Amino acid sequence: MESNSDKTSQINEVTSPWYRSAVTTAIVCAVFSLIVLTLFVINYIQFRIINTNWEIQSLNLKKEFGQNLDDEQLLSKIRQLDLEFRQYRIRRLDFSRKGGYLLLGSVVIMLIAIKSADTFKKKLPAPQVLSNKDNEQLLHAKFARWAVAAGLAVLGSGALILAMGTDIDFGRTKVLISTSYPSLEQINKNWPGFRGPEGLGISAYTNVPDSWNGKSNEGILWKTKIPLQGNNSPVVWEDRVFLSGGNQNELKVFCFNAISGKLLWAGEIASPHLKSDEEPFEVMEDTGFASPTVVTDGRRVYAIFVTGDIGSFDFNGKSVWTRSLGIPDSSYGYASSLAIYRNLVLIQFDQGGPEDGISRMIALDGLTGQTVWETKRPVPNSWSSPIVTKIGDQFQLITCGDPWVIAYDPAKGTELWRVKCLYGDVAPSPVYANGLIFAVEPDARLIAIRADGQGDVTETHIAWDNDEWGPNICSPVSNGELVFLLASEGLLACYKNSDGTKLYEHDLRENFMASPSLVGDKLYLLTEKGVMLIIQAGPEYKELTKCELGEKCYASPAFVDGRIYIRGLENLYCIGNNASE
Amino acid sequence: MIRIGYIIIGIAVLCLSSGVASALERFPPPEFESGYEFPSTTTPHPQQDIYEYIDTFVLLAALGISSYLVLKKRSRRAIFILMVFSLLYFGFWRKGCVCPIGATQNIVLSIFDHSYAVPVAIAFFFLLPLVFALFFGRVFCAAVCPLGAIQDLVLLRPVSVPNWLESGLRMFAYVYLAAAVLFAATGSAFLICRYDPFVAFFRLNGNLNVLIIGTCLLLISVFIGRPYCRFICPYGILLRQLSRLSKWRVTITPDECIQCRLCEDSCPYGAIRRPSVNWPATEYGRGKKRLAVLLVLLPILMILCGWSGSSLRKVTSRMHPTVRLAERIYLEDAGKVEDTTDASLAFRATGKETGTLYEEALNIRANFGLGGWFFGGFVGLMIGLKLITVSIWRQRTDYEAGRASCLACGRCFRYCPMERARLKKTKEAPV
Amino acid sequence: MMSENKKNINRRHFLKDGVWATCLAGLAGLGGFLLSKLKKNNTVWQIDPYVCVACGNCATYCVLEDSAVKCVQVYEICGYCDICTGYLEPEVNPPDTGAENELCPTGALKRVFVEDPYFEYNVDESLCNGCGKCVKGCTVFGNGSLFLQVRHDRCLNCNECSIAAACPSQAYKRVPANEPYLLKKMDHA
Repeated sequence: MESNSDKTSQINEVTSPWYRSAVTTAIVCAVFSLIVLTLFVINYIQFRIINTNWEIQSLNLKKEFGQNLDDEQLLSKIRQLDLEFRQYRIRRLDFSRKGGYLLLGSVVIMLIAIKSADTFKKKLPAPQVLSNKDNEQLLHAKFARWAVAAGLAVLGSGALILAMGTDIDFGRTKVLISTSYPSLEQINKNWPGFRGPEGLGISAYTNVPDSWNGKSNEGILWKTKIPLQGNNSPVVWEDRVFLSGGNQNELKVFCFNAISGKLLWAGEIASPHLKSDEEPFEVMEDTGFASPTVVTDGRRVYAIFVTGDIGSFDFNGKSVWTRSLGIPDSSYGYASSLAIYRNLVLIQFDQGGPEDGISRMIALDGLTGQTVWETKRPVPNSWSSPIVTKIGDQFQLITCGDPWVIAYDPAKGTELWRVKCLYGDVAPSPVYANGLIFAVEPDARLIAIRADGQGDVTETHIAWDNDEWGPNICSPVSNGELVFLLASEGLLACYKNSDGTKLYEHDLRENFMASPSLVGDKLYLLTEKGVMLIIQAGPEYKELTKCELGEKCYASPAFVDGRIYIRGLENLYCIGNNASE
Repeated sequence: MIRIGYIIIGIAVLCLSSGVASALERFPPPEFESGYEFPSTTTPHPQQDIYEYIDTFVLLAALGISSYLVLKKRSRRAIFILMVFSLLYFGFWRKGCVCPIGATQNIVLSIFDHSYAVPVAIAFFFLLPLVFALFFGRVFCAAVCPLGAIQDLVLLRPVSVPNWLESGLRMFAYVYLAAAVLFAATGSAFLICRYDPFVAFFRLNGNLNVLIIGTCLLLISVFIGRPYCRFICPYGILLRQLSRLSKWRVTITPDECIQCRLCEDSCPYGAIRRPSVNWPATEYGRGKKRLAVLLVLLPILMILCGWSGSSLRKVTSRMHPTVRLAERIYLEDAGKVEDTTDASLAFRATGKETGTLYEEALNIRANFGLGGWFFGGFVGLMIGLKLITVSIWRQRTDYEAGRASCLACGRCFRYCPMERARLKKTKEAPV
Repeated sequence: MMSENKKNINRRHFLKDGVWATCLAGLAGLGGFLLSKLKKNNTVWQIDPYVCVACGNCATYCVLEDSAVKCVQVYEICGYCDICTGYLEPEVNPPDTGAENELCPTGALKRVFVEDPYFEYNVDESLCNGCGKCVKGCTVFGNGSLFLQVRHDRCLNCNECSIAAACPSQAYKRVPANEPYLLKKMDHA
């Protein structure tokens, strides 16, 4: 035993000076490396802290300086801080570079030292005694199988966890859409949007009153104050009347009981564009914040405002969804009313100039507000509203803009046909009657287009046009044989559907904002002063009655079973005969 | 007092609507009277092409020398010196990029993306080590790969990993390879490059997270030899399979093995295979049954994993920036998130239709769906095969360097007494 | 017995050789395929200045601490304005070139008087960090002569560019190494 230890100690003695120095070098380098590494870490953390601090401090100082522009001391303080930061940054970059090389160098030397130490003190190979040679390999095989199985299990659970993350399905056809929508019958029984069931301005009921007096309250069932103003027209579904209103601070949708007139609820749409601490949203006074008329599908009511915010409420007033489509670039303010087709809310989002190409027709799912389809429109800003009407056996979504009248398939957003015939600030909405679409080129003409085209049918499908004049605000109305135009300055004209011959023209000497409506064989025209002129809808001008309301009106009336709803500037009126209740 | 600020804000409102990138010359070019000449914008050039060819040549030379050193000269010291040279050249000089490991992705991308062509050097970098592996074994890993070199150099106190654990851990490398190929084929990302742990050291610069991973891996390498090479390297998988078929093999000694067991703890990488032991008689029957079960399990495993891989497409496709963008736009449009991101703002400013974006994203998802089958199928195949090969009894009488696992580092040479004797004899050979 | 064993071994060797030859042929085939698609040039990374939104990621995502992306100036496009919207912050009060009014956080954009009323603006690359603040100011309010470009005397040409992966507008493209810059030209609409 002694000889052995002697031998080993002899060996140790022989190798010890080199060995010890190697070990010492290794330890020194290790410590040095650690120091440099720590410095690096500190440097990094410091930079993060100093960077954020500098930004905050500099911002605060600049704000302060902005308020006291004469403070020289503050100015020099800002400049000093800036200079310090710049110098710090350069020093830091320098340190990183040099420190990197230092660290590398010291680590390399440390490794060399350790390896040398190893060579100076070599170990003899000493395989261990095998305990259970026979079973060892079998056991290893078994463990290996289990290890691989465990790996598979880890992979599997990883996959499961990943698969449970958020699932976003944006295939067009796979968008979660509501399957519930009103039937055509239900739509025709109500007044669900601007100008009625198909946007044609034609009342389904002829039993509506034809005389009332707002001043003496004769024929007025109720009158309720509307909390916020807006130019949009009332919309009626069964026992609810919907309106919207807005100002610089709030955008709201109001729901009134159609029978009692009581304000049931007011739903607010939170708009990111109406922040109280920012510049107030500018909009033309004539347009106002709530020009577009709301629309309802009997389940929810949908409203869009001049800020491009659109929201939806259920019939109890609970907000279902809200979206901000971005502020539409519209010179007079966005005013196109909404339309619906089955479960889709259709938005004619025209904006910008002719070369901008940012206008689009958007279809949102009524239940969720998700975009179902979106089609670009080659038009600048416009103020006309789209209509969805059944032509033949298919529904067409008809839109007007400068210069195109375009018809889309409302389910998919694909273009059916287009006709180039418009020019200027297009505000009147189109109508359909008896195979013809009537579109108005403002201040210029009335165009009749055959509705069975495909593609660009400018050359072939314009049936006729009458270019004597065209209204610039009010939309036309037609009973299938005659089409009527109403100018905002008071001119009423009647044309034959079939060939556009003008049958008469009469100056009513009143101003109109509301579009004309057709009730049976009577035209209901609502003047700005609130007087309803009831005219015979025939080839000759014949005034039947005048009904005064006593309040200014800009919005178009709504017609339902035995009742008319008129929105005055301040109040909502329900006109009806007591007997029909 | 008219503030310049308001004027600028006014211009801003006009200009912002046209987006950041669509700048027209708003201010007309100046007309100089003093004879001022426009300076030109400097355009410093990247590294010249010649360097690529030099690098390829050096790679070829290094592989050749490595083969010679491993198979003929059989000197650990010489291999070590070549390894240090490779670390310095391919690592610190070339900054470790492009390396053969990453070149795999370039090759895959060029197969699936017709608009991308692989530069010559990268093609050679991918092929040469594989060709050499087919002839001489993993000589690339021995002394040429800089990532292997850096791990090998810090290996100070090797701890042996039990064989069964090694088998289990190596499954990760298969998954990594499959994932890297999937993401490269779909043009989403170069996974291997993104998570290369050692390139940050070669550059002396890098992403903090990668630096941390690299440091941890190096610290592990001090004790567990070459963890990246054995458990992570995806290129190593290819080298393993080709090395199994190599014409010439790394042997501990070209002479006969006397089963002295002295080489048992010489290999820090667990690559030395021991002589086989006869199983107890009962085991053969069970073994056969087990084997049968595993053989049947193999296709089931492949299909199961393939199906999982494909159904994970909603998750895997998020690696692609277009899909991430589409999802973000979708969430914003649906009102599910409040803010916008740089990416979504940039997209909206381009005026591109969201419908087109969604279609592109759906296409990419479909690609991931198809690729997922291959991804999962491959992983399933490898796992199944591993289970089978572990359960097979192989006859082995000598201590051998495992054909696939041996990294040809040459450490075991001096442990073998037969080898030492042979070298002494050759030294003392009569002139 | 011996001959049978030998036959088995021979068969196994034959099989193995077959697989070996197939692998070799496969590699050769792959090589041929790749060479057929040959692109002589190596590719490098570059920013398309018309797509870039100057988000600031170029300064932070480069693997190099001193980012390889720098702002460049195309003098022919520059307006040489007294009040440069890439140099000065909006709403400067008083309108002087104090450090507090400069957009550039590192002072890399230098202003040199040429003749009245023109000033030349140069980028000092050793100071520039590629944050893009001047680029945003110049492109949105000015002529857009300042924009970010990858500088190839600094760029390591990583196989996967970390900035490219983080670019929100996907402005990074692979360009041939012999034409490694995408500089803006005059009169781009």
